[in-house]
Amino acid sequence: MNCDQLREHYELYALGIAEEPERGEIRDHINRGCEVCGAGVKRALETAALLGASAPAAQPSPQLRHRILASVGSEQRRFGFAWVPVFAMAALLLVVAAYFAVSNRRYADDAARLRSQSARLRVQMRAQAAEIVRLTEAFAILSGPSTTEASFGGKQPQPPRGKVFVNPSRGVLLIASNLPRTPADKIYEMWIIPKGAKPVPAGLFQSQDDGSAMHVRPGMVDLASTAAVAVTVENEAGADQPTTTPLIVAALAP
Amino acid sequence: MILPLILAVYSGPEDRALVERLKRRDPQALAELYDRYGRLSYSLVLRVVRDKAIAEDLVQETFLRVWNRVHSIDSERGAIGPWLLAIARHRAIDYLRSSAGRDRNTAVELDETDHAPLYREMEAGILISDQVRRVKAAMEKLAPNHRTVVELAYFEGLSQSEMSAKMGQPLGTIKTWVRTALQSLRDELGVAVSSS
Repeated sequence: MNCDQLREHYELYALGIAEEPERGEIRDHINRGCEVCGAGVKRALETAALLGASAPAAQPSPQLRHRILASVGSEQRRFGFAWVPVFAMAALLLVVAAYFAVSNRRYADDAARLRSQSARLRVQMRAQAAEIVRLTEAFAILSGPSTTEASFGGKQPQPPRGKVFVNPSRGVLLIASNLPRTPADKIYEMWIIPKGAKPVPAGLFQSQDDGSAMHVRPGMVDLASTAAVAVTVENEAGADQPTTTPLIVAALAP
Repeated sequence: MILPLILAVYSGPEDRALVERLKRRDPQALAELYDRYGRLSYSLVLRVVRDKAIAEDLVQETFLRVWNRVHSIDSERGAIGPWLLAIARHRAIDYLRSSAGRDRNTAVELDETDHAPLYREMEAGILISDQVRRVKAAMEKLAPNHRTVVELAYFEGLSQSEMSAKMGQPLGTIKTWVRTALQSLRDELGVAVSSS
């Protein structure tokens, strides 16, 4: 089909209701750089955008902004704020449960089950939200074009092994395996070691049961002045400076 | 009613700087993007799904998608506002389809229209209030049946066959209404939208 025959279908295409064969033809024209169809579809997309802006104005809740920013790690989660709907639901469930427990003992088991489900849901949601933030940060570091990587543990007999990824604007990502389980009151602490200066704490983490770990320290890193990334075992509260011999040292290329 | 739109949808050179900052993973840029387009995208999604909680979830998904795919937009020539709205509409209609159990194969095809490169060289200020006002006026001028088919296509994601079933009209009639409605909008908005 030529561009004249497709002209009537640009708006349908932009709205997503063009039918075959016109839809495929327009797609092919665009893919091969057809300027006529490209401009026509662009104008149709502009009209579609305007239609979107014609929806009746509505106001989202103030929490939505916090949720979006927290999901990319830019705001600390507000324990009592972002989870208001969850707590409200939990509170409602508790009230309902209490009412039934008093009025009729038959509902006692159901009430306990609801409370348990509510608590479990709350924990799951919190864990999932935190994990999404962590994975988003890790992905941002891994996919950054200016990310530098360094390996560690390759020459030791029973070492933790893995890699460190450093992105100047996004932060540090450590992925390790073969990490021994820490004693009950200990935790792993990551350090960013500047050239000729004291190590800087870069967050606490624990390994999984299988000895693997992924730890992210988001934020800016001055790659030129950083010599290495290291990990030590510290008391559970963490330390300002390393107190044990590093278990992991990943030297960054000078 | 129009004032929030004026405040929410102003775009221009600032959008280009914003895209650059988003590409540098500046979270404050995401905050500014939300301040600029959050209310607009929420209004659109709420119009589609008609449920406030679900609309907020879908808007959150939209902004995360933009955050994760912002590298694909041309910061010099791309229009992030229209692109963001296309993603928001896509997410909302996807939700409608899945919740209604509609067959994706016969429903409208949106995947092709939220690719960032399609939004290159689009008028930067496309969403400014005057144009929004013009599209509202143009919609109001349409005959009721014509307005209905445009709204069913845009806000409910119905294909022409689905509109035919929903409205109890022959497919040919629906196609005529859609074509006439779009022609009228094109005539009304021909000056409002970019003529490049």
